[in-house]
Amino acid sequence: MRQPHPHATSGPARPAHFTVVGNPGSRRVALFRAAARAAGCPEPVVVAWRDVLCGEYILAEGTLLRIDSPGEDDEVDQLLRGSAFGPDWAPARAEGSAAWYRGFTAALRSIAGTAAATPGCTVLGDVDEIAAMFDKRRAHTLLDTAGVPVPPALDQGTRPVAGWEDLRTRLAASGLRRVFVKPAHGSSGSGVAALVLGPLGRASATTSAELVRTADGQVRLFNSLRVRRYTDESDLCALFDALAADPLHVERWLPKATQQGRPADLRVLVTAGRATHAVLRTSRHPMTNLHLGGQRGDLDLVRDIAGPGWRRLIDTAEQAAGCFPRSLSIGVDVLPAIGWRSHAVGEVNAFGDLLPRLPGLPGSAAEGQDTYSAFVTAALNTTGAAAATQGTLP
Amino acid sequence: MSAQHLTEFHGLPVFDLPPRSAEAELPSADAVAWRLRIDWNESEEFGEIWQRFLNDVDTTRVAALIIGAWNEEMYDEAPSDELQYVIDAVPRFPALKAFFLADIESEENEISWIVQTDLSPLLQAYPALEELGARGAHQEFTPVHHASLRTLRLESGGMSAAVVRGIAESELPALERLELWLGSEEYGGDTTVADLAPLLSGARFPALRHLGLQDSEIEDAVAEAIAHAPVVPTLESLALSMGVLTDAGAEALLSGQPLTHLKRLDLHHHFLSDAMAQRLRETLEPAGVELDLSEQEKAEDSGGRLWHYVAVAE
Repeated sequence: MRQPHPHATSGPARPAHFTVVGNPGSRRVALFRAAARAAGCPEPVVVAWRDVLCGEYILAEGTLLRIDSPGEDDEVDQLLRGSAFGPDWAPARAEGSAAWYRGFTAALRSIAGTAAATPGCTVLGDVDEIAAMFDKRRAHTLLDTAGVPVPPALDQGTRPVAGWEDLRTRLAASGLRRVFVKPAHGSSGSGVAALVLGPLGRASATTSAELVRTADGQVRLFNSLRVRRYTDESDLCALFDALAADPLHVERWLPKATQQGRPADLRVLVTAGRATHAVLRTSRHPMTNLHLGGQRGDLDLVRDIAGPGWRRLIDTAEQAAGCFPRSLSIGVDVLPAIGWRSHAVGEVNAFGDLLPRLPGLPGSAAEGQDTYSAFVTAALNTTGAAAATQGTLP
Repeated sequence: MSAQHLTEFHGLPVFDLPPRSAEAELPSADAVAWRLRIDWNESEEFGEIWQRFLNDVDTTRVAALIIGAWNEEMYDEAPSDELQYVIDAVPRFPALKAFFLADIESEENEISWIVQTDLSPLLQAYPALEELGARGAHQEFTPVHHASLRTLRLESGGMSAAVVRGIAESELPALERLELWLGSEEYGGDTTVADLAPLLSGARFPALRHLGLQDSEIEDAVAEAIAHAPVVPTLESLALSMGVLTDAGAEALLSGQPLTHLKRLDLHHHFLSDAMAQRLRETLEPAGVELDLSEQEKAEDSGGRLWHYVAVAE
């Protein structure tokens, strides 16, 4: 497998043709294909995740390979984590992230192996880095070690959190009373709970996971578009016992800055090492995911309020992305602290560029480009490949 | 909706005392409302921040002071020590006119979990104070006599009736604005209309021009009492907003004493029907009343029951 050279901008021009591993028909794939065509490249080949998971795919020689999210496809979801549920699998289930991660990383290794065996095939990114980003515990440690500001995490040592009682005991012992509990291999806010251990032994968990008890008393969790709050001891017990069946990452909930009273965070997209896009997300919940009621906030206002803090925030996002140097595009979630003076990195997202029609930051290399066009440009620059129209110039 | 950080207080822009590490330039002491609060990414404790404020700022010219988050864990203890800092520093603040305690958003701590403390000792220590505000689960208010206080604003998701009674028993001859968020019973809001009676009699606070009895689960009953309350003719502005005001409460308002003398009637966050909202507009707006009917809410159906929520509770 060839790795892209970070600064190789010259070299023999050869026509670039892209392949994207993704879900055919998804917005992600459509947006990428459009960006590649707009750059004058031939229509990208789409390799379906479904076919990767079934071992039925080949890669073209010399292709530039983009790996995109396997998410939002029911069949792929069932292939990845259906084994954790058997007949009870449903796409909205919030559990099963450990099984999902095993399936996903096995598929990544398969792709890397196939790419390595395909002459001239260049992976745009790195499967090990993608795998690290999909393990929030590993990613947190990587960032922390590199000096990137991150919320302090609960040190689980070699003993993962086993359930509600265990979690509550260990949080109390660690002096952590406001935390985010996240499935270590989760995405899109699935299974994330903002937990507060309040006064008089009371606790409250805010989450998009809907707790459902079956007739025979089993607990099931479903992803919901409605963020709800659990405060009953029996509900909290059921919720966190169910979540703890998969590995969890637990970190301190640092109060976020707000805009019009709505907690805010920033998704900063770092392309080829530089921040190219940023979007402010605000919500009336601790979670700012757009599908959970989050809205795009006013970025200009933030730049005004944050002042010099804005540059530091962008620097932090780039520093965080620097921990994954072989990844061409990383979505860094930056959590501004109240007052906008300081911040911490909440998450790094390997597939963080689904930000349709978001223009590039003024003054960045991607000014005037959406995230997908920025990716295509960066891919062509770093691999020394040329778009077809450029390659055929006399 | 939830309570929001103040951006302006006592007519001044709010300015956060920067963390020690920031080395920022400070504004003129009398040009801003100073907010002191911990920075969640710094180790400096509130006591140290307070000392730094006294050292770095000419507090003799400070007119407005705000205390925000005073601790990373505000669940078990009221800000009694923090309030005592301010009380003990009376000689340092000869110009202080406005004070707000616990300017905290739900990202830091839920309003119902902010343990509040009796604010009367502060009023006694600062006889020239004109504006007092506080947010949280208010539990007590020792009746006071205070000749200067013009604005009292207590925000809460559930205010103890003892606080309402304590205020009602106070002598506040200069009080022009009184705003009380009564809140939800689930979070400790147990005020009844009987508790409000002294406030509504008009005899307590002769200077009162604005009355806000807001964020209440019994907003309909409050409206019914308001409809015949002697205090109303002396008011310029009335707020029955943020609570569970339904057509029944609005009907009572319309069939009671005239409200057309009001400059403003704030009913935002309500459960009124379109028809009732229209009747209110037709009755009051031609008389020049500025009517806020924004945030029309719908009851939530859960388990076959309809639930009406106040704007701020948990």
